[in-house]
Amino acid sequence: MANVTIIGGGVAGMAAAGVLTKRGHEVTLMERDSKLGGHVGKWYKVFPDITDASEIVDELKGDLNGVKIKTNADVKEIEKSGKKFKVNGTSADAVLIAAGFEPFDATLKEEYGYGIYDNVVTSLELDEMLKTGKLKTKDGKTPKSVGLVHCVGSRDEKVNNNYCSRVCCTNVIKSGIEIKEHYPGTDVFCFYMDVRAYGRGYEELYRKSQEECGVTFIRSRLSEANENADKTLLLRVEDTLAGKPMKINVDLLVLMVGMCPSVNAGSLKNSIGLETGDDRFFKTKNKHSANNESNIPGVFYAGATTGPKSIVESITDGRAAAAEIHSYLS
Amino acid sequence: MGKLYDELSKDIEIKHSMYACMDCGTCTALCAAAEFYDYSPREVMDIVQSRDDEKIKELISSNKIWYCGQCLSCKQRCPRGNNPGGVILALRRLSEKTGLFAESEKGRQQLIAKRLFGDNMLKRGYTLLATNPIPSHFPELGEDWEYYHEHIKEMREWWGVPMDLENSPGCHRMVPEKDMEELRAIYKATGAVDLMNKVEEGMAKKLGGKEEVEKFWQSYQDNVDSRLYKIKEKK
Ligand code: SF4
Ligand code: SF4
Ligand code: SF4
Repeated sequence: MANVTIIGGGVAGMAAAGVLTKRGHEVTLMERDSKLGGHVGKWYKVFPDITDASEIVDELKGDLNGVKIKTNADVKEIEKSGKKFKVNGTSADAVLIAAGFEPFDATLKEEYGYGIYDNVVTSLELDEMLKTGKLKTKDGKTPKSVGLVHCVGSRDEKVNNNYCSRVCCTNVIKSGIEIKEHYPGTDVFCFYMDVRAYGRGYEELYRKSQEECGVTFIRSRLSEANENADKTLLLRVEDTLAGKPMKINVDLLVLMVGMCPSVNAGSLKNSIGLETGDDRFFKTKNKHSANNESNIPGVFYAGATTGPKSIVESITDGRAAAAEIHSYLS
Repeated sequence: MGKLYDELSKDIEIKHSMYACMDCGTCTALCAAAEFYDYSPREVMDIVQSRDDEKIKELISSNKIWYCGQCLSCKQRCPRGNNPGGVILALRRLSEKTGLFAESEKGRQQLIAKRLFGDNMLKRGYTLLATNPIPSHFPELGEDWEYYHEHIKEMREWWGVPMDLENSPGCHRMVPEKDMEELRAIYKATGAVDLMNKVEEGMAKKLGGKEEVEKFWQSYQDNVDSRLYKIKEKK
């Protein structure tokens, strides 16, 4: 029996662990947090079917019988000697890095006023508000208008993130629907450049948000937000379809933050000489045919550690990586 | 693609300022010129990116390229690293080179800029001299300014910033001739002098001769309004 260590107990790592343990391997799953689930474990409803995120995590957990789970295990480096690896003192024949992502730090887009103005929040905070049923401005009122800003920290040379985070468009759509369903009197404005609703059921959700829920999409990119005396926000955008610069006020501004590489990606990389791309996510051996392999035999990748992915993609990727690891070990 | 675009793309400013524009409008949203004029840096980028000579010709013959105030806020914000303000500079140069600047009213004001700032630079090494803002052009500055204008030499001596001396303090000293020579050489080598000449030539061509250019200049001096000189329609 071979030992496999998985770094990261999010959906990709859990999915991989479930498959590998069924194939008879000794699996150790290391999670830096105090419980499994990663980001998904903290979220409320997810697209495309507006399901409870906790259901997904529970299902994946159900497959983990026999997996050695180590929580509060932050992994910063891997040691290698010959064909063996050591991760936080545990030896392994193969290592799967499923270290996931970090949400973009919205304070870096200073012109949007996150951390400066009262009523600018991130998509994560919006999710929390919806989860607790308290969509409120700082002074406790239900907002009459909400602005959802696409591509915050993505597709932006100014923050050195040229890539698209892929899921935030559909997250905007889903959030818009949720807001309209729970607070029908609240106007929702989405500031988008392109709507990248690429997955099964996503385009339908986009259509629903417009046709049934009345979410408004304005083709633009937020240039800056300013706080008014009453703590509402004055947004400056150009409606690029009309070709007119415009100013619009909203009570609450939500920044849909993109995905950045895990804070540990750099040190993991340096510890055994792994490779990352220009986007600082891990670089796979081949983008088409070996997308779970690293440049070091025995080290594999799964999930958002190799770039932004949706939940279903991360789970599928975790299972694909498990199959690769199984072949490597047999 | 055509001749104008090819010429434009040789400008170093284009090489530094023009990558692929994704038409997001971040620049136009905060451009001060776009707020007050029929002007949009995104539209400018879009036209240049189209590489369509007809559209470029129309653009550099129009008032639009002269509305930009060169604040470069657009450059600070563009998520693609473009600098629409820099593209505008290249378009202005092309407009002057081709003489198309003289087709628009704002473009024709280049003559005033050339004769004031351009000639000042080459003669004195300053863009603006203390004596330039004459009271009749700036009535809003009032009587104090009139007094200052009349007693400028004397007053500047009271303040210890005398006029027109070499090595004196203040911003109205004479730049030594050897430095002036260097400055003129830079203006020549970088093509600025050629552009200034193009402005004079382009205006003469548009207005129908050098004497007409002088009339245009005089009309501006008298009225501070470049619209009052009437261009004779060519028959
Ligand atoms: S998915 Fe949409 S919001 Fe997210 S980075 Fe891509 S285009 Fe922007
Ligand atoms: S440099 Fe010109 S185009 Fe750019 S924001 Fe300023 S005025 Fe607008
Ligand atoms: S901000 Fe940049 S990418 Fe966006 S429209 Fe302006 S020049 Fe184009």
